[in-house]
Amino acid sequence: MYDTIGIWVGALFTLAIYSFLYKENPVYRLAEHLVVGISMGYIIVLIYNTVILPKLLEPIFGGNHWLLIIPGLLGLLYITRFIPSIAWLSRYPIAFVMGTGMGIGFPLTMKAYVLRQLEAAVIPLYSSGMPWHEVLGNIVMIFGTLAALIYFFFSKPHKGLFFGTGSKIGIWVIMLGFGATFGFTVMGRISLLIGRIQYLMGDWLHIIE
Amino acid sequence: MGAVNIWEKMLNLDRRWIFLGIGIISIVFFLVGFGMPVTTTKEVENIFDFVNELGPDDAIFIGFDFAPGTQAENMPMAVAVLRHAFHNNIPVFMTAIVPLGQGMAVSALNYVTDPAIDGHYERVLFEDWADYREAGITNREDIIAAWERDGNVLPEGALGWVFEGRDYALLGYLPLFHLVILGMTNSIETQFPVDYHGNPIGEMPMLKEHKSLRDVDLAVTNAASGACTYWITYAREKIGLPIAFGVTGVMATDYYPYIQSGQIIGQMGGLRGAAEYEVLLQENGITATTDKAFRGMDVQSAEHIFIILLIVIGNIAYFAGGFHKKTRLKGRG
Repeated sequence: MYDTIGIWVGALFTLAIYSFLYKENPVYRLAEHLVVGISMGYIIVLIYNTVILPKLLEPIFGGNHWLLIIPGLLGLLYITRFIPSIAWLSRYPIAFVMGTGMGIGFPLTMKAYVLRQLEAAVIPLYSSGMPWHEVLGNIVMIFGTLAALIYFFFSKPHKGLFFGTGSKIGIWVIMLGFGATFGFTVMGRISLLIGRIQYLMGDWLHIIE
Repeated sequence: MGAVNIWEKMLNLDRRWIFLGIGIISIVFFLVGFGMPVTTTKEVENIFDFVNELGPDDAIFIGFDFAPGTQAENMPMAVAVLRHAFHNNIPVFMTAIVPLGQGMAVSALNYVTDPAIDGHYERVLFEDWADYREAGITNREDIIAAWERDGNVLPEGALGWVFEGRDYALLGYLPLFHLVILGMTNSIETQFPVDYHGNPIGEMPMLKEHKSLRDVDLAVTNAASGACTYWITYAREKIGLPIAFGVTGVMATDYYPYIQSGQIIGQMGGLRGAAEYEVLLQENGITATTDKAFRGMDVQSAEHIFIILLIVIGNIAYFAGGFHKKTRLKGRG
């Protein structure tokens, strides 16, 4: 019974959202506002039940872990942003999160995003027994990376063989990247539509499996 | 002049006609169902092969790191990996980086264990086999033997039993998940003392064998945001945990460099990636049929042809109408 009601609600709200494709209308706006409101309500309750209650309130009042009052109070300082006269207090929890985040994340982030990627770009163009398509891939990868980097080097005018031609090739490489991203984006958007059509025709109308 | 007007009309076509065309194609191709083949790629095969090598002594994490907005893309890939893990009796930890991902994990589990679906796995809740744990029976084979000895019969159409706490643990969502991953490199239980249902994690046999991420063999994050890279930064780089990505189509190109650098073992990109995994499951006899992602690929292919045609026609109109010589199109301020 509840499942059926849920499916009907889901189907009608899907149609309400898609009605925007024709033109904006009150039904669409109602659905849009409900999505935002319900999502926020759900997240607040979820965070209360999964974080605030079991990790703060219960240990303090049930387990006598009084030290937790300190991070609790620090967290409450975020709310001072809504009171202009003491809004500056909100900088303390922000500074704490930023500081610990940087301290914990910086070495690993450098390793993951910079050093590993550099390492992956330092590869032989050719070694014995390497299939031709791999050689070609390595050449494209290395020279493509260099050309794209040249394009983003702004301290020299993009003229001459090295900077001029290099940056032009770099633009092509970047455009190819954008093209691939656009293709995937089209696929992604169509996939979302497919998901909704499957829901409407399958779960709701039972026309398809 | 007349010809130019046609080109102008084509270029200024009301976009609602395009939406209508896409809608009609979607419905028609779902109804007809051509079953166009889906070839598999190395990126997806690598994930499949890796999971296929694992067994009951190993464990994997499946991250439901997406909200309902991208359910169409992320859910089929998460479901496919979950099915694969259950088939190979690999213990699965289910987590969520985003709050709404927790509900997605519940939905995926409900779908894979739905008795109405042929080829489901029969779920046994944590409290239902408490007597066996108290009797010291924690080995999977022994649990099944004792469970069936007590008169429980595997329903027709079910592929096997899955015991909560032995075969899977629904850990759920926690905020600041990068710190949670970091904490789990030392102990999973300190981060998740209880699971989504409130069951104590420490009493779960799978937790006793896999106390931290160091005892885990793979993390597959099905994500709709860059948060999936937390797994690389805080698990891969810190303790060398193998990572696989299941990402939305929009994100897919951003993460290919991580395959080339060897930081992830593979990637499922969008609905296509999920369909590939479903094909691999079927080809290897793990599932009898493919699932929703594969069925959607007919529509996907047809839509792509339609969009390519529109781009070609648009370009013909643009050049044939001589608009490349003008600074702007007529009728567009």
